[in-house]
Amino acid sequence: MMKRVGIIGVGASKFGRRDDVSVRELAWESIKEAMEDAGVTQRDVQLVVAGSTAYRGVELYPAPPVSEYSSLLGKTPIRVEAACATGSAASFSAVNAVASGVADVALAVGFDKMTEVDTATSLAIGGRGGNYQWEFHMYGTTFPSYYALYATRHMAVYGTTEEDMALASVKAHKYASLNEKAHLRNRVTVEDVLKSRVISWPIKLLDSSPISDGSSAVIFASEEKIRELKIDTPVWIEAIGYGSDTSSIARRGEWTSLRASRDAAAMAYSRSGRSPTEIEYATVHDCFTIAEIMAYEDLGFAERGKGASLLREGQTEKDGRVAVNLFGGLKAKGHPLGATGLAMLYEVTKQLREEAGPVQHQFKNYVALTHNVGGTGHYAYVTVLSR
Amino acid sequence: MDGIPLELRYSLPEKGYERFWEGLKRGEIWATKCDKCGVVYYPPQVDCTNCMTKTEWVKLGNKGKIMTYTVVKAKPQGYDKLEDYVIGIVKTEEGVDLMCWIKGRPKVNDTVTLTTDGMRVIGETNAL
Ligand SMILES: [Zn+2]
Repeated sequence: MMKRVGIIGVGASKFGRRDDVSVRELAWESIKEAMEDAGVTQRDVQLVVAGSTAYRGVELYPAPPVSEYSSLLGKTPIRVEAACATGSAASFSAVNAVASGVADVALAVGFDKMTEVDTATSLAIGGRGGNYQWEFHMYGTTFPSYYALYATRHMAVYGTTEEDMALASVKAHKYASLNEKAHLRNRVTVEDVLKSRVISWPIKLLDSSPISDGSSAVIFASEEKIRELKIDTPVWIEAIGYGSDTSSIARRGEWTSLRASRDAAAMAYSRSGRSPTEIEYATVHDCFTIAEIMAYEDLGFAERGKGASLLREGQTEKDGRVAVNLFGGLKAKGHPLGATGLAMLYEVTKQLREEAGPVQHQFKNYVALTHNVGGTGHYAYVTVLSR
Repeated sequence: MDGIPLELRYSLPEKGYERFWEGLKRGEIWATKCDKCGVVYYPPQVDCTNCMTKTEWVKLGNKGKIMTYTVVKAKPQGYDKLEDYVIGIVKTEEGVDLMCWIKGRPKVNDTVTLTTDGMRVIGETNAL
């Protein structure tokens, strides 16, 4: 018998180039905020799951120094990694621990310091994000080039244009400009995006999320513990769905949609009893602009091939049919890999609790989801939440 | 402050895949196939993990169709000295999807002739 699990506290560091702190202080920023938000201390936290890819920072085994710094010794049995979905893998593990009764209060913290190495090194690490031998080693793939392969095919099959993709960037920057914790806070135009430097055609610099440092933390508790702690605004985890796909992008058999996302969404919808039309707010994985368009389709917000029309019609803006990424998305808020999935839960929690300030979306039924992709669809997690 | 540099030097096992790497030097592209279930593996696998058995080597043809491609401008460490290159995914006539470098002007659905440069698969577009 699984227990009902709710979020009782969320925290997030400022994202960006954070050469003012090491990964320990960076993680503590979000852990401290989450504990204060929940009104708990380290004594209440029984289990910590640390999520970090840890390839770009000097700390290759960062969970011990982070838990030491944060006075969470004895509570961190594991570091998890699922590439860009690492934060969701951490929340998945922590939620399962609470649901199964292993812990009444569990904290998931995700962090990465990505700016400690130079860009060419970072590209080489990202290029290994698929299949080392048969793709990166032989062909010099980069992370942007994997998504570019999806973009080119999506354009050829469905007529999606570079302008359509640019709209996702314009939207992300517009909302990030209102978010004090966002990495990129400048507004951009479609023209700016189209004219920006080509990284891996058709993906340009302003189609891409920045290389960021950051952390996010979420505290989960069982229903009984939530009553005991007298938390009056828990955000409930209705279901978590997951999916995965081949390491080799060439073996996927299609390059317009992520099977892992579709599988994760189907599982999350089925386990929560929700349908895509019930989702009022979503954070989607927009590491590149094409990823946002594919996410609309894979999550069932738009038919296959019609994702761009949601952007053109403004349906994913604040107070639109389904508001998406009103904190600026990965694209402009930033994408420190380990932190992202938990930053999504932070954002949805703030929205469902109506604490989102200038970007507060108007809910009717308070149903939302997070969609976090690891690699280029190697992993995906979809979490349905409600208040 | 500068951290202590971490230099990682890898050496990769090739055993069981000699046929593939030798083929590349001769302009040939090899995959593996399971006699029992008929699955063709590319990248090649010595094991058919569906049937718990070993696969056999099969040579692929040299015609294919471009499924998608990208022009790499921002290059990773290890490729940073090279000119821009085009990565494509090509579907062979046998229906096997290969990553390759595209030479010539790529377009989705164009046909290419598959060859190698000794180290990787190359798809040459017939269009100029
Ligand atoms: Zn077989």
